[in-house]
Amino acid sequence: MGSNKVLLVEDNSDDVELMLHAFKSGRIANDVDVVRDGESALDYLMRRGSFAGRDKSEQPALILLDLKLPGIDGLEVLRQIRANPDTKRIPVAILTTSDDEADIIRGYDLGVNSYIRKPVGFTAFTDMVEKLGLYWLVVNIAAPS
Amino acid sequence: MRMLISVVLFSTFVTLVSTVLQLYLDYRRDIDVIENHFDEIDRGSLGVIATSLWNVDIDQLQTILDGLLRLPDMQALEVTETGEYTSNLSVKAGSKQKKAALFRDYPIFYTSEGVARRIGTLHAEATFSGVYQRLIDAAVVILVSQAIKIFLVALFIVLIFYQMVGRHLSTISQWLSRYDLTEQRPVLALPGKPRTPPDELDGLVFSLNDMTNRLLGAYRALTDANAQMERDIVARFHAEREVVRLNAILEQRVKQRTFELEAANEELAAFAYSVSHDLRAPLRRIEGFGQILVQEHAEHLDEQAVHYLDRMCAGAKDMADMIDSFLKLSRSTRGELAIETLDLSAMAAETVHRLREKTPDREIDVVIEPGLTVEGDRRLLGVVLENLFENAWKYTRKAAHPSITFGADQQDGKVRFHLRDNGTGFDMAHAKRLFSPFVRLHRPEDFEGTGVGLATVQRIIVRHGGRVWADAQVGVGATFYFTCWEKGTNDGQQ
Repeated sequence: MGSNKVLLVEDNSDDVELMLHAFKSGRIANDVDVVRDGESALDYLMRRGSFAGRDKSEQPALILLDLKLPGIDGLEVLRQIRANPDTKRIPVAILTTSDDEADIIRGYDLGVNSYIRKPVGFTAFTDMVEKLGLYWLVVNIAAPS
Repeated sequence: MRMLISVVLFSTFVTLVSTVLQLYLDYRRDIDVIENHFDEIDRGSLGVIATSLWNVDIDQLQTILDGLLRLPDMQALEVTETGEYTSNLSVKAGSKQKKAALFRDYPIFYTSEGVARRIGTLHAEATFSGVYQRLIDAAVVILVSQAIKIFLVALFIVLIFYQMVGRHLSTISQWLSRYDLTEQRPVLALPGKPRTPPDELDGLVFSLNDMTNRLLGAYRALTDANAQMERDIVARFHAEREVVRLNAILEQRVKQRTFELEAANEELAAFAYSVSHDLRAPLRRIEGFGQILVQEHAEHLDEQAVHYLDRMCAGAKDMADMIDSFLKLSRSTRGELAIETLDLSAMAAETVHRLREKTPDREIDVVIEPGLTVEGDRRLLGVVLENLFENAWKYTRKAAHPSITFGADQQDGKVRFHLRDNGTGFDMAHAKRLFSPFVRLHRPEDFEGTGVGLATVQRIIVRHGGRVWADAQVGVGATFYFTCWEKGTNDGQQ
């Protein structure tokens, strides 16, 4: 059984803060685990390194993935998630400031479930996060683990 | 020399023939002389001999015969008695040869008492030795004198020939052998006094001089032509080398420029990527935290502080819009064109539909000519229509009865699309700057905008092989025209 946690992969602490604020404003009560780079994200998901003791049932219900990450970038993280049988069915939404076409195409090629460009207006952003949470965490039926 | 030999041989031959003829004539004359002697004997002496024989006067006979023997060439004479009373009387003078060259036998008749009776025979023999001797003498004299004459004549002929022809020929020959077209030579002239009237040699000299003049003319023409050709060849060679050099430079430059362009493109792409990620992110933060302050901490802020925060957030949003426009401009010039047949009328209608949804409060009369099609990239021409319609939408805001028409007409056989509005228009003096990026003709307080839209439109239209231009009047409206594929190609190979 999967948890209803959200994994946020985001390197900038300000953006993390804004995102968490948006979650709160959007009344999304799900726990949010935050990792700050691609390496940590993979460690978290593959339960290795500093996350070695994490319970397998604690896999997140949704991964929010930034693309520009220090070290392993977002698309590579996505590729490895999709390559691993344990994680390949977890919904992944790319959340990024860019709407670069190449990134969008690569993202879908690698099997991302959603590609979202963070709007500059905070109100719009909050709306968006609310809709995102509602859809992926409530409306959408996840794959059985 | 050969001529001399020829002259000598011919003269010798002629001399020999004439000598032989002469000798023959001499011989005949001598024979005639001998015959005459024989005749004289017949006429003059035969009577006396007959009488003496009749009388058998042997002494007399001997005397007569001796006398006759003194005749030239006479060699032997013999009187022999014949007839009834033969006593074989014989009187001789001289001595007979075995082979007599010339002889005559005279019958000796004695007439007595009216009856002529043959009483004997006179045998006269003449020798040729004298004749031969004279002939030989004559021949020697003739031959020697002829030889001398021939030699002298030949010598004289040779001298004359040399004087008149040979030395001239030699002069001509030397002149010809030294003749050289490449250097100026004196005109050929024969030595000695000029001949009047001119003879064949003068004719030859004249012809030769004339010929050399013509040769010289031809040679000069040829030399000139050669020189010209040489100059041409040299010029061409230089030109070719220059072309090769310039080509190499050009190639190098093209390579360099291509490399620079590729590098610049890559940099630009990287820059655009970075802009879209890294410049927008801080704006989001400024705006985000500003909004949080305004929305959640308003009670700690006075009205002025809230106003400032609002302006801050608005500034951040403007900048974000600017970045988006910039990215749109940048993307409009990159990537491959995906050419297909587009229903521009339908695309225009969709654009208008979106604009109406976005601004439901605007009431604008829009007329779109049906059936407009063009070959082009759907996304990019969509951007064009979007920008042009957005502009028309924006600048008709203050019009009493805003209207927009989108249509096409034919100009020089090419389709020209136009989008006309009755909005604010602009001063045509600034028309040139209209399509430069980040240039605006209106104050932002009047009409918002980033100044990138028309620059983007122009870039896209240029990539579609067309032109875009505007016609406007302040307060009356503006018309934007655009064409595609003016050069007739639509394969998207730019």
